[in-house]
Amino acid sequence: MGPEPPQVSIDIEPVGRRVQVAVGTTILAAAQSVGVGVAAACGGAGTCGCCRVRIAGGELTAASEEERRLLGEPALAAGLRLACQAGVRTDVRIVIGPESLTATQRLQLEGLGADVSLDPPVVGFEVVLERPALEDLRADATRLLDALAATRPPVEATGRPPIGLAVLTELPAALRAQDWSGRVALHRPRGEVVAIRPPAARLLGLAVDLGTTKLAAYLVDLDTGSTVGRAGAVNPQIGRGEDVMSRIAYANTGPAARAELRAAVVEAVGRLAAELCAAGERDTDAIVDCVVVGNTAMHHLFAGLPVRQLGQAPYVAAVSDPLDLAAGDLGLSLAGGARVYLPPLIAGFVGADHVAMLLATEAAEASSTVLALDIGTNTEISLAHGGRLWSCSTASGPAFEGAHITDGMRAAPGAIERVHYGDGRFSVQTVDERPAVGVCGSGILDAVAEGLRVGIVDARGGLARSHPLVATDNGRPRCVLVGAADTGHHRDIVFTRSDVGEIQLAKGAIRAGTELLLSAAGIESVEVDEIVVAGAFGTYLDLRSAVRVGLLPDLPLERFRQVGNAAGAGARQLLLSRDRRLLAVELAGRAEYLELTTHPEFAEHFVMAMGF
Amino acid sequence: MAALDELREAVIDGQLAVAVEQTKRGLEEGIPAQTLFDDGLMAAMRRVGELFEEGEVFVPEMLVASRAMTAALEVLKPELVAEGASTSGRVAIGTVMGDLHDIGKNLVAMMLRGNGFEIDDLGTDVYPERFVQAIRDGAEVVAMSALLTTTMTNMRAVVEAIGEAGLREGVAVVIGGAPITQTFAEEVGADGYARDASSAVRMVEQVLGRVRATNGP
Ligand code: B12
Repeated sequence: MGPEPPQVSIDIEPVGRRVQVAVGTTILAAAQSVGVGVAAACGGAGTCGCCRVRIAGGELTAASEEERRLLGEPALAAGLRLACQAGVRTDVRIVIGPESLTATQRLQLEGLGADVSLDPPVVGFEVVLERPALEDLRADATRLLDALAATRPPVEATGRPPIGLAVLTELPAALRAQDWSGRVALHRPRGEVVAIRPPAARLLGLAVDLGTTKLAAYLVDLDTGSTVGRAGAVNPQIGRGEDVMSRIAYANTGPAARAELRAAVVEAVGRLAAELCAAGERDTDAIVDCVVVGNTAMHHLFAGLPVRQLGQAPYVAAVSDPLDLAAGDLGLSLAGGARVYLPPLIAGFVGADHVAMLLATEAAEASSTVLALDIGTNTEISLAHGGRLWSCSTASGPAFEGAHITDGMRAAPGAIERVHYGDGRFSVQTVDERPAVGVCGSGILDAVAEGLRVGIVDARGGLARSHPLVATDNGRPRCVLVGAADTGHHRDIVFTRSDVGEIQLAKGAIRAGTELLLSAAGIESVEVDEIVVAGAFGTYLDLRSAVRVGLLPDLPLERFRQVGNAAGAGARQLLLSRDRRLLAVELAGRAEYLELTTHPEFAEHFVMAMGF
Repeated sequence: MAALDELREAVIDGQLAVAVEQTKRGLEEGIPAQTLFDDGLMAAMRRVGELFEEGEVFVPEMLVASRAMTAALEVLKPELVAEGASTSGRVAIGTVMGDLHDIGKNLVAMMLRGNGFEIDDLGTDVYPERFVQAIRDGAEVVAMSALLTTTMTNMRAVVEAIGEAGLREGVAVVIGGAPITQTFAEEVGADGYARDASSAVRMVEQVLGRVRATNGP
């Protein structure tokens, strides 16, 4: 065995972390080892250019081919590097720009309030037990079930509901501490006692939307149906790749990797639950039911199911039926017997989150014709028409999340989110009104749309070289959105021809999927009564821009509805209504999945839809 | 020659019917098929490649141009064969196992075809054995495409299968697709990588030159 490589230290700003690593370790690996989130859309392959950092002292390994290509010489000379490529040679200090730091993103937690008739699967029954005595030696559990059998209204369960080991373990102490009374939480679909709470205790439910990028959690009062708390966090798996495929590729490297991804997300959900409960001075024991929605890969990783088959054609799920798992088995500490419900999914790339979105927006229940899109790196689209429901997934790519865009970033402070052109220049609005440091999805969409409107961008996506804001850089045109003097980092913020190309690919794929659903239903876009646009980007985008670039069909704006985190709202409905759970199964069962990968007309529509 | 100018223009603009018509006219006027190909189709595709690199056109324009070129080439093919035309080389191209993305691969194939290469298109979801078979069938270049992080690793299996079949020496292995990088290409033991269809042509020409040089005539 050779000698241990020497150790050096890395100071990470602006978070102020110091980490000791072996010489040669990449900055990304070092940052991840101490939980500093650095955006790495490609999972550290050196292809996305997201993980830009600036070196502020010390020496790194020589710039790689990828860094030269993605950053360019001037940026390298200015000390910019890609965290996934650059290794440390001496003690160094690096600064992660806000555009690459994943921790400070705006999280989208709004969404619809659930408007369903209250009939939660888990309900509470107040019980008063007879105390044990020498002439009444019934076991605690028997005593509890006898009391439960005597409640009014009667418990609807066939026979005596079983009590699991987790609840039995807590039962003797709880009954004695509560002076032989309490509130029994009964899981009606299972006919099982899931908790014994103090008398008159509120029963809480936890609804979680497991996004590839963000987690959103809601604490719901099961007695009133109201949402009593909401919290969000970055999905901690993000350091292992920003999109689903990169995570699957990482999980494929071995069972330990898959376990790591699972543990990370379970722990994050547990932390959100604890945080939400602490805010209301409650205990996570009060959570007696839980619903988790996510795309198929997130769903599988959370449940501990294999994902390899999702990453290779023909991309099939391990299971599409709803799952009802024990919270304890998953590693979530909620009420002892609490279950975690994962709704059914439609296909490998049309997940339970889409089903939840359809529930929340009631898109598939109306008699009208509704098109519902959840725009993300993968865009799921459903069309309800004439009592039928068609769904597809189209691979829009991460451009609308700011990836693969020259100055792209997520919707973090300083990201340009709105762009307007007037009086010969662009004016912009940024997140939190901070000095601009980059441009996020809604901003780049606006920039292209405004460019088209005023002739800076032509119908083929080319930039008008004669325009004063358009300059040429190595023969390739770029258009200045905000000049260096007005930005937060004193560099120009631009969009280039290839950025327009990324938008063309993304919007082309979404539009092609939409058109193929319409043709499957045999209708024209004018026949669509309502277009529901969900997801973070879908909620912030300017509809006029989306229509101008052709991302969405050209219909009167009043037919569009932007709904925020509808998947989270759907998850809450599933906590509150047994009917909604039945409906979820029904919807997933009748959705007709349209496979685009082998669709003979996809390429044609895609190519057509790429132009402006 | 008017026919050649108009042919080039039709291909660049992606006007399929016009391109076919101008090709026929050129043949009627007695222009050799090889000239129509070299100075018409090939020149047009070079120009399309330049326009792409300059940012003037994007994927849709390249695709329609390629289709016009392909249609015109169909008209020329019998004549080229009759004239005993030489090809730049034979390329077997396919999207690797597990992956069905083929738009980029098709574009590369058409650009190569437009530059005088003979193309054996293996399609999508191509298993390693199929690539090996293509070499036995006469391919000098194996070109692989992958668009998914989960399938790009399958390229390594192809390089290994070619090695196991004892065929690695004589062939050029080149790869591409959105997630591929130069570093990755070196890691899997490919001879070349290109980021887009127009640079792919130059790269394949260079790599093939190298391979032929080391193998002798
Ligand atoms: C169109 C598209 C599809 C179409 C494919 C249609 C078809 N017949 O090809 C559809 C909608 C069916 C599809 C499906 C899927 N896709 Co898709 N798709 C795209 C999209 C939007 C564009 C790809 C494209 O055609 N680009 C245009 C061509 C011209 O460019 P290109 O392929 O990169 O090729 C160029 C170069 O790379 C190079 N090149 C390519 N091959 C070769 C080969 C050689 C030898 C050389 C030298 C050069 C070279 O030259 C080409 C021309 O310049 C991208 C996103 C994006 N913005 O890139 C996602 C994308 C590739 N898909 C993705 C995914 C995940 C999928 C799915 C698995 C899931 C889904 N539903 O979303 C499925 C399954 C696909 C399958 N079965 O294999 C992901 C991959 C993510 C990752 N990290 O792996 C992407 C990046 C989108 C995303 N979600 O982030 N997709």
